[in-house]
Amino acid sequence: MRREQTLADRITSSSVWRSVVRHGYPDNQRNQALIIASNVFLHIHPVKIKRYATKVTYTFCLGGLSFFMFLVLVLTGVLLMFYYIPSSDQAYQSMKDIEASVTFGQLMRNMHRWSAQGMVIAVFLHMGRVFYTGSYKPPREFNWVIGVLLLVVTFLLSFTGYLLPWDQLAYWAITVGTQIGGAAPIVGPKVDFLLKGGKEIGQPTLIRFYTLHVIFLPLIAAFLMAVHFWRIRKDGGISGPL
Amino acid sequence: MAELVQGQPTQPQNQIDEAKRQKLLELVRGRALARPTDLADDEVMVWPSLVVVEAVCAAVFLLILTFLSIFVNAPLLARANPNQTPNPSKAPWYFLNMQELLLHMDPGLAGVIVPSVTLVLLAAIPYVDRSPLGVGILGTSAKGRKIIGFTTVFTIVVIVALIVLDEVRGRGTVFGIGSYLADKGAPRELTEIVLPTLVMLGGIATLMILVHVIFKPTRREMIIALFTGFYVGYWILTIFGTSFRGVGQDLTWPWDLPLTHH
Repeated sequence: MRREQTLADRITSSSVWRSVVRHGYPDNQRNQALIIASNVFLHIHPVKIKRYATKVTYTFCLGGLSFFMFLVLVLTGVLLMFYYIPSSDQAYQSMKDIEASVTFGQLMRNMHRWSAQGMVIAVFLHMGRVFYTGSYKPPREFNWVIGVLLLVVTFLLSFTGYLLPWDQLAYWAITVGTQIGGAAPIVGPKVDFLLKGGKEIGQPTLIRFYTLHVIFLPLIAAFLMAVHFWRIRKDGGISGPL
Repeated sequence: MAELVQGQPTQPQNQIDEAKRQKLLELVRGRALARPTDLADDEVMVWPSLVVVEAVCAAVFLLILTFLSIFVNAPLLARANPNQTPNPSKAPWYFLNMQELLLHMDPGLAGVIVPSVTLVLLAAIPYVDRSPLGVGILGTSAKGRKIIGFTTVFTIVVIVALIVLDEVRGRGTVFGIGSYLADKGAPRELTEIVLPTLVMLGGIATLMILVHVIFKPTRREMIIALFTGFYVGYWILTIFGTSFRGVGQDLTWPWDLPLTHH
């Protein structure tokens, strides 16, 4: 006996729908496998995994959350880019405008700021989780190294973003920060000049930090994350008791 | 496999494989091919088992973030003014551990050499500890977890003691020894680079010896001690830098700090 066709059935069996979604409703194993395998975003996952890998108290979602914060940062960051002006004359005023005049501007800025802080914490805690569960051991050595690089990129992303508001907090934090880098033996002064684009923090510094922050470092991060996530699968999924 | 590719364009190659498989099925007893949807006892389907966990984690985080962002504004101080240095001037909070080190030794050592060496050593961990011992178990073993606890206490006590001692004896003087030697005409490299390096290596060596004597650790467990020392040390130094350094970078109680840092 067939049940009556609902509107939902008609839509999901239409040729337009079927051209987009090639599998049926994922209420059986075949469709559950297809939904993962045929979706470009989901197919970073395998179709099936060990049961322990789904335990929240094992991973605390820290790696996933780091990635999710990155996505939030990309989204809010792009929205902020519509209004932010990377000029030492206008940057501060554009920040004021984002906070006072732009619809949801303050909210976007807050979400960007707090996610950035959260991502540094999450990435660092993720490293701790991976270490204490011995998840760096062969065959996962290389992915641990990629992870260390991602930690550095996360620090740099946050650090370059720190200057952009062009307020006292930004200016002096970057002054101290670049001084630390500039203290390197032999190459120190060169590093300092390279970071600032001059002897003092000014327009050349701002545009360098801006470019690093909005395109260069995010691309590096995305590249490393792609390798990082792919490697998890290739190294046999997330670690678990042998 | 046949089940999965159903509905997708079949390639001519598959037909050959299909024919081969039929032959194989005659030879092999039992199930010849594993299908993607065959689940072992300890396996689950990613959809829904993992995807749900990820979605819930993301949703909870997004909820917390949104509420935080509605009620707490990101800081925006006065416009940048190169002529007005705030006191204290601080780096972003996650670099304040380095800035704390900077108060006690040569800036090149604190800001570049120590962090670089730390990162290289971190990256080298999996090439030093290759045994599969303890994979998937938090802290490896009961002994491993005891070592974590011991090292945490050791690191907190030692770092707090070193910072306070250096502060009392004159900051950056390596507890007064450096300034004493400098008065005797010792070169700056000795008092600001060699001595602090010896203090740091001494701390690490003391930790290793104590852990070795008390716990008789495996290599994995010794690395747990070292990593814990780094991990706890990072947070302790960060806490000192963010919450206990006031005007002129003097040790101050958190509630007496002039400026909040985010």
